[in-house]
Amino acid sequence: MIELRGIERDFVVGDQIVRALREVDLEIHEGEYLSLMGPSGSGKSTLMHILGLLDRPTGGTYLLSGREVTDLDDAAQAAIRRTRIGFVFQFFHLVPYLTAAENAELPLVLSGVDPAERRARVAESLASLGLSDRSGHRPDQLSGGQRQRVAIARAMVAAPSVLLADEPTGNLDQSSGSEVIHLIEDLHASRGLTLVVVTHDPEVGGRAQRQIHMIDGRIREDGGAA
Amino acid sequence: MLLAMSIGVAAVVVLTSLGESARTYVSDEFSSLGTHLIVVSPGRTETSGVGPSMFAGDTPRDLTISDALAIARSPLLTDVAPMVMGQAPVSWGGRERDAPLVGATATLRRIRHWSLAQGRFLPDGDPERDSGVCVIGAKLRRELFGATRALGEWLKVGDRRCRVTGILADEGRSIGLDVEEIVVMPVAGALALLNRPSLNRIVASASSHRQIDRASTEIRRILKERHQGEEDVTIVTQDALLATFDRILVALTYTVGGIAGISLIVAGILIMNVMLVSVSQRTAEIGLLKALGAPREEILRLFLVEATALSLAGALAGLALGVSARLAILHFYPVLPLTWPIWAIVAALITALVVGLVFGMIPARRAAELDPVAALSHH
Repeated sequence: MIELRGIERDFVVGDQIVRALREVDLEIHEGEYLSLMGPSGSGKSTLMHILGLLDRPTGGTYLLSGREVTDLDDAAQAAIRRTRIGFVFQFFHLVPYLTAAENAELPLVLSGVDPAERRARVAESLASLGLSDRSGHRPDQLSGGQRQRVAIARAMVAAPSVLLADEPTGNLDQSSGSEVIHLIEDLHASRGLTLVVVTHDPEVGGRAQRQIHMIDGRIREDGGAA
Repeated sequence: MLLAMSIGVAAVVVLTSLGESARTYVSDEFSSLGTHLIVVSPGRTETSGVGPSMFAGDTPRDLTISDALAIARSPLLTDVAPMVMGQAPVSWGGRERDAPLVGATATLRRIRHWSLAQGRFLPDGDPERDSGVCVIGAKLRRELFGATRALGEWLKVGDRRCRVTGILADEGRSIGLDVEEIVVMPVAGALALLNRPSLNRIVASASSHRQIDRASTEIRRILKERHQGEEDVTIVTQDALLATFDRILVALTYTVGGIAGISLIVAGILIMNVMLVSVSQRTAEIGLLKALGAPREEILRLFLVEATALSLAGALAGLALGVSARLAILHFYPVLPLTWPIWAIVAALITALVVGLVFGMIPARRAAELDPVAALSHH
């Protein structure tokens, strides 16, 4: 369902060109659970940004469910991000002056969903993550693990088909981190989500069915395609 | 920054308000003179402005009392008064004051709509003769006579004597003449006292507003005939005078309003800076919104709305400030008829809106163009 062909991504840093991604070919099927691993600068985050349409490749093509999305205009790409892709970040990125419920409903607000329906879907999303009693709290009143769960609720509220998680446990302690990973995996299992986890932690990455290792902008290993 | 916008709007409102009020004030003052006034002065001016000027190399012919009498025969005019003006020492009972001196005839009272607090004005009669009476203003009376009765007393004005026959009622200023302070005597006497051959001016009242232009032309014709075919007088109608003043004040109002407008631009620049700072502080938030699927237009709209809301808030605060300032001015200077020009308020609000949009555009575009990847890793 996701096809990357010959993806290149160059950055201009000062007077040098840094090639963050070189000739990346990748096929991801619906419902796959894969991890992207590699040292710092390997390009794994860049690859994830391109997968999530946050970044445009300098070369190559990106096909999403058979449709070419590489050169879509900003509005069209934004629409896809809103409805089909969910993001979870290392640093949560919650809006500090909004409550948990208001944070979670942001994608729906951007899509113009009416308030009544929004409330229902947010309530459901938060409930499935055990946050119903925290829905009125602001991020500074929540623990790290709770914040990440709100972020996951936000990512899921628009019922996307792809979930991209960039170092989801990087800012959490052991037990919260483990809780979050289990939650994400449950979502994958119960809803048939396509799940991509970017991580430098081999323990986290090792849980995926398919593990991709990157070095210097290339895919070096692509193991265990299930 | 909100304060800057408020001050800008308040300044525009108050200053244009003052300008409009000045216009109304002047217009009202003119109306109080009676609207059919025509003023004839010796010497020709190129413009329809105030005051005569010498034709280079040519001495204007004297305006004489018989000129005034000739004009008075025209049926287009109801009243004609020859006038001489100057300054003279006035003394009585050991007290002396330098007072503005007006030499005129009985008709001046009607032309100027003056009223008398006591006694009578100058008598009718041959204007070529000095009847030896005078009329003084209320303040002059107070200063010379104090509590003593003034009517019937003999004053020394310059080197002449005259008997007080009337006291002018307190009416305040009347374009150039502070009625309180003057002494009015027969024109023949004043001419002799001031040692002048010629009148300062002749004032006349047209029979009706419609007749003013015809009356002007008639006066010009009569005097041209009498002055050997020379057109050496300036005739200014009250209308023309008012129009000139009005033009000047309008220009002044716009200029002043424009200057105040500059402060609005300053406020706009401040808004822009504040918003730029806001954008850079909210970079991560903007990146998040983009990641969640907000298109650029949405981000643009978001910040433009914020900028406009800010400037409108400032404008409303400014209006409130302007209202208070106006009330304060009215409190201290109740004489001023402070009007509230609607167009100025609307203009100020619209300007505030435009300023918000224009100066908010740059920060809004910057926000919209942010690279979400960079923005997200910004914090």
